Amino acid sequence: MPRVAYDDASLTVWQGADALQFIDGLSSNKMVDMIQGEVRQTVFTTTKAKIVDLATVFHMGDFLAVQLHTSQLERLLKHVTPRILDQKVTIVDVTSRNQFCIEYGIHNTNVGQFESLDGVTHGHVDERYSLLIASLDVESKPTVDQALFHEWRIENQIPWNGFEVTGKNHPLSAGLNQLVHPAKGCYIGQEILARMISRGRQGKKLTRVENNSVDEKFITTQGQSHSLAIIR
Amino acid sequence: MFMDCGTCETSGPVQLMTPEVVNVNLTISSKAQEMLVDAFGDDRSMALLVGVLSGGCSGYMYDLQIVEETDQSCQEVVIEGFRVLVPNASSHLLDGIEIDYVDRLMGGGFRINNPNAESSCGCGESFA
Repeated sequence: MPRVAYDDASLTVWQGADALQFIDGLSSNKMVDMIQGEVRQTVFTTTKAKIVDLATVFHMGDFLAVQLHTSQLERLLKHVTPRILDQKVTIVDVTSRNQFCIEYGIHNTNVGQFESLDGVTHGHVDERYSLLIASLDVESKPTVDQALFHEWRIENQIPWNGFEVTGKNHPLSAGLNQLVHPAKGCYIGQEILARMISRGRQGKKLTRVENNSVDEKFITTQGQSHSLAIIR
Repeated sequence: MFMDCGTCETSGPVQLMTPEVVNVNLTISSKAQEMLVDAFGDDRSMALLVGVLSGGCSGYMYDLQIVEETDQSCQEVVIEGFRVLVPNASSHLLDGIEIDYVDRLMGGGFRINNPNAESSCGCGESFA
C-alpha cells in the first residue's frame, strides 16, 4: 500500500489523571470514554469554533500519545496550557524521536484501534488511511510523493492539515463533521457548532470540484483535473 | 521499537504558561451569605472552595465546593465568618469576583460575577 511522509506531524505525550478529561473539555469529539488500545481524532477549537489543531489521540494506558502538527504546536500549547491550572496534566514533546507516514488506499476494518506491525504503530483513524508512527531506528520509508497522495485525497474528499484544516475554518466547513460529537457536554466553540448543526446552517462545506468551475480563492487543494474547495 | 514516547527517559515538559499568583479580593452578596448560612449551619470549620476548571463553552468553568480542606495550594479569605478558599493556580481569574445567589426555579443557584470575564456562556457556568 502507498505510504507518504507526514512531515508536519508532531507527537506529544500527555500524562496525569486529568489528561483525557482535559482534552475532552477543550475539543469537539467525545474522548472521556476512550480505553487503552483505542485511537480517536478530535479538533481543538477557539471560542469562535475555528480550528486550532486536529489531534489524533492514542490511549496507551498510563498516558496519551497525541499526534498534533508542528506548524500549529505553539498555537495549540498557548491555547491549552493556561487552562491546565491545578489539573493533573503534563505535556512532553517527543516529536524529534519519531517519524511519521500515512498509509492510504486501504480498507481498514478496525477503525478506532491501533496496533504495532513490524515495529511501526498503525493508528487506524479512517477506513481509507492509517497514521503510522515509528521511532527513528525503524526503517519506515515513504513509497510515493506528496502529489500522488493529494490527488488521492481529492478523489476521496479527505481534508488535510494546512489545506482544509486551518485556523480559517471551523470543523464542519473543513469536512471534519464526524469529529463533532452531537451529544457531548460543553467545550470551547460548542455553542456555535451546535447552533449550526441544529439549524442546518453550516455555511461553507468541503466539496470536490472540477478545475475552473469555481473561483480560485475557494480552492484549498489543487489537483490535475479536480480540486477540493470550501464553498457555500 | 514502535512509537517512541520517551516515557522511560527524562524528557522535560513543554513550557507551561503559568500566570502570576495574585492576592484575591472577593465579595459575597447578602443573598449568597444567607444561602451559605443555610448550607453551613453553625459549623464554620467548613470552607467554600471557589475554583476554576478548563472546559465549558467559553474555556473555563467555575467549580464551587464545600470542603473541610483541600490538597490544592490555596489562599484563604474570611468574609463575615465564612472561609473561602481560592486556588493560587486560578487566582488571576478570580480576583475581584462577587459570589452571588440567584433565586430562580430554573437556572438559579450560586453565581459568580467576574470582572475578569470577557464573555460568559448562557448558563453562567463558563467564562473566557
